[in-house]
Amino acid sequence: MSCSSEFVHLLHKYMDQELTTQEEEMVKDHLHSCQECYQHFHELEKTVALVQSTSHIEAPRNFTQSVMSNLPREKRTVSWNR
Amino acid sequence: MEMLVKKRIKQVRKGDQNAFAEIVDIYQDKIYQLCYRMLGNAHEAEDIAQEAFIRAYVNIHTYDMSKKFSTWLYRIATNLSIDRIRKKKPDYYLDAEVSGTDGLTMYSQVAADVVLPEDELETVELQKTIQNEILKLPDKYRAVIVLKYIDELPLKEISDILDIPVGTVKTRIHRGREALRKQLRHL
Repeated sequence: MSCSSEFVHLLHKYMDQELTTQEEEMVKDHLHSCQECYQHFHELEKTVALVQSTSHIEAPRNFTQSVMSNLPREKRTVSWNR
Repeated sequence: MEMLVKKRIKQVRKGDQNAFAEIVDIYQDKIYQLCYRMLGNAHEAEDIAQEAFIRAYVNIHTYDMSKKFSTWLYRIATNLSIDRIRKKKPDYYLDAEVSGTDGLTMYSQVAADVVLPEDELETVELQKTIQNEILKLPDKYRAVIVLKYIDELPLKEISDILDIPVGTVKTRIHRGREALRKQLRHL
């Protein structure tokens, strides 16, 4: 197999577990024999790991309170008029 | 969780505004994080995340109870974030990208007044770099990457949120991942 953009496409499908068993074997074989494609695959895996490593962010304190105080008032008016 | 949320939504629809607070509590971190990853700026993220909840509240009667609430809420937040990105003037956009100081402030406020050990500082720097690279992605790629890898949502849900076919989600993930690989490979 040549290291074409077609193989890169297969690599992405491999990462997303979308290949048939046969295609998967083919990709693995190629990765064993082709340093360039192996490097490409390694970089993709590293990229995903880096993106996933960005720590989880929390909303600022008092976020809920702030949303609640900015809600439009119609509903309350309805209850006042009752 | 969905059950509780739907119960609260029914209360909100009947006019009980306070029932909405619990919904905000449940989803605030996820929505804020989505906006932050899309916009890269703490102030804007708070602004847009708040706007998303307010829109959800105002339009709560248009939400289809047979569908997942979080998908609907994510869609509102994603659309608002993309609108904001597109409205940004180019110079403002560059400014937001280069500064990144908001991110630093936010990360470091966790350990306020504590001197960060060197490896923690490195982590902060690395995360800033990654965030900046995510921000360089065109918005349609940025949205799928954030939803898949940071919010860890399944493809079908991403497709529902963005209202595009699953096949398109996959293509955008491939391209987004490829673009990020080129930017992050030397780290």
